[in-house]
Amino acid sequence: MDHAPAERISLVDLLDRVLAGGVVVTGDITLSVADVDLVTISLRALLASVSALAGPAAPTGGADDSAHQVPARRG
Amino acid sequence: MTDRQGVWTYAITDYSGGELPPLTGVAGTKVRTATAAGLTVLVSDVALAEFGEVALRRNLENLAWLEEVARAHHQVIEAAARLFPVLPARLATIYSSDAAMAAVLGARAGHVHAALRRVGGRVEWGVKVYAAPEDDRREPVPASMAGGEGAGRGTGRGEGAGLAYLKRRRAQLTAARESRSSALAAAQAVHSRLSRHAAQARLYPPQSAQLSGTRTPMLLNAAYLLEANGGSGFTSAVADAAAAHPELRLELTGPWPPYSFTGDDS
Amino acid sequence: MTQHIRYRLDADDDPRAAERGLASLVLTVVELLRQLMERQALRRVEEGSVTDEQAERLGRTLMCLEERMTELTGKFGLEPEDLNIDLGPLGTLLPER
Repeated sequence: MDHAPAERISLVDLLDRVLAGGVVVTGDITLSVADVDLVTISLRALLASVSALAGPAAPTGGADDSAHQVPARRG
Repeated sequence: MTDRQGVWTYAITDYSGGELPPLTGVAGTKVRTATAAGLTVLVSDVALAEFGEVALRRNLENLAWLEEVARAHHQVIEAAARLFPVLPARLATIYSSDAAMAAVLGARAGHVHAALRRVGGRVEWGVKVYAAPEDDRREPVPASMAGGEGAGRGTGRGEGAGLAYLKRRRAQLTAARESRSSALAAAQAVHSRLSRHAAQARLYPPQSAQLSGTRTPMLLNAAYLLEANGGSGFTSAVADAAAAHPELRLELTGPWPPYSFTGDDS
Repeated sequence: MTQHIRYRLDADDDPRAAERGLASLVLTVVELLRQLMERQALRRVEEGSVTDEQAERLGRTLMCLEERMTELTGKFGLEPEDLNIDLGPLGTLLPER
């Protein structure tokens, strides 16, 4: 069976698998003028004030003692 | 003076015959093997300055770094998977030493051998289901401008414009909700149908539209474990499911090494 | 993994684009609040916890708000889809149309 060259694999599909579904995007909106970051608005603060929209926090992945496998954070 | 190093792991196999071809792994490192508990592990020695816990947390947040490392990790796993059954390691599984790794694997050897038996001779295929894009992308008319009864202002007797507006909004919201839940039900039906072809199936959360660049919502993100020669049969099954559901758009990816079926989700 | 969404406000290249960036951010928040108020109003009307007269007034106010949002959005050269923020696994801030 033919294997597609690695470059053609979508990064998002690959990340799903190598991070075992742990991809988290927490958006911070940064207002910048001429590459100078001025104000960072944390969306977490926005979500906290509109609590109806925020879902429950999911558990973080565990890690073996002697491996510092870094679980991608959720929530 | 040597930099402190860690052991990055790519995959585990119980295959013992034959030599591994030379492979390059993450950060240009050479791939070597280490053995433990009757298992062979593909590893690289990586600098902790880049891959230690603190540096790693910082680097993982850098999409460019993450992409390069993820693809290098994948290429090693893919190359090995062509030669023998492997259990891919999750990205950034790093041990302080071969001995530390051997201790952990020794404790889990039973699970690992069982997982290798489960994935031997099998490959993974992925299916993503989206709501199909509407043919004519007409914007829903804002309820304040919609025609129909009650649209006029102050029609005197009978229902006022305000109540009529509320009625229209309620109808719009209900219709949107029903359309979404019927699309989700259809996606579930597709998943049940495709699962029957697979030894195992697994669901991932739908992908963020921002990361995947799609316009319509993703309704299902699934992985299926199939026999290595089951690809063409599965491709037909996916085509049939797509034909049965014109309200959905299906995307097939694969074959993949069995990332989603290592039984190793922490 | 944290992803930074940058709204560029450089006046150099295209002042319009800078304005649009800020506008879409502000209008998204306003639209969020408008939709929340609307849903709340619908709930109250359906529960029967408001009088007919109050419901009529609520409806008219919300209708005006919606018209105003449509105007403002158009004024900044934005499409309704531009008023949204993607929060990854939490979905989008506003329901997708």
